[in-house]
Amino acid sequence: MLQGMAENAPKAAASALYEGAGVMRGEMEKQAKMIRTAPFKYASNGQTRLPSPEEKAVVERGAIGVAKFHKDDDGCDTSVGFSNTGYAMLAGRRVPIPLIANSINSGTSFMQKQPFVRKAKYAGRTKAVDVMKKSITDYLEKNTGGK
Amino acid sequence: MPDDYTTLVAALKTLDIPFAENGWTSRPNVNTYGVVQLDFEASALNGDNTKLCSSYEGSVDLFSLSRDGDGMVEAVTEILDEVCGASWSLNSHMWEQATRLFHWEWTFEVDDAVHDEDNGDGGTAADAAGNG
Repeated sequence: MLQGMAENAPKAAASALYEGAGVMRGEMEKQAKMIRTAPFKYASNGQTRLPSPEEKAVVERGAIGVAKFHKDDDGCDTSVGFSNTGYAMLAGRRVPIPLIANSINSGTSFMQKQPFVRKAKYAGRTKAVDVMKKSITDYLEKNTGGK
Repeated sequence: MPDDYTTLVAALKTLDIPFAENGWTSRPNVNTYGVVQLDFEASALNGDNTKLCSSYEGSVDLFSLSRDGDGMVEAVTEILDEVCGASWSLNSHMWEQATRLFHWEWTFEVDDAVHDEDNGDGGTAADAAGNG
């Protein structure tokens, strides 16, 4: 039984990681919904502006994803964030989606920052760890008969 | 407002560039300027149905037309070192094509012991809860 557990451990860890990443993805989507907006205007004369509803919609429209898992020394790892590919048409220009997300998250000289990604990291951290713990505990119980 | 944050804002405002708290409504007409703000509560320690200690995450942004930030990059990091100790990092460094401004973004964490009164044996309420 122990040998079987050792063989299946990477699979169990990957499964737990997948569930944890799902929690972080959900939290990021939740925070993206809370981005404040104002109707689009060009930031003329050095005035700063809020993101437009169109920019918020691009960020919300399911561009947040979980990256392909990769092996490292301790097991496997992944990232949650915006896809490197994908463009949106805004004010007649083709703009990369991660660039829009980054502008809102970190701010620019003409846009006030709303750090929704950093907020999601803190807000989802505890829940993600709990979900991953539960996933591993369930695996152990399943494989040891709960003893 | 955490004391460390107040100290940080005061120190940044002594620099030779305009530094605004909580953003600019209109960009200042200078080569280099900065923004400092407290972004959100990162974590908290609760006990006895009260909040004993909170940790806040904030950010410092520096915008500059020159690649070295007119020497302000070192000045800002020195202030962060002094006020925040090890709890800060350079989150991003970007360049804006439209304005040709370089943008540095540092994030930091400061904490605030909400119930910091003495609990009778020389420690604070946060100490009593094991928060050091």
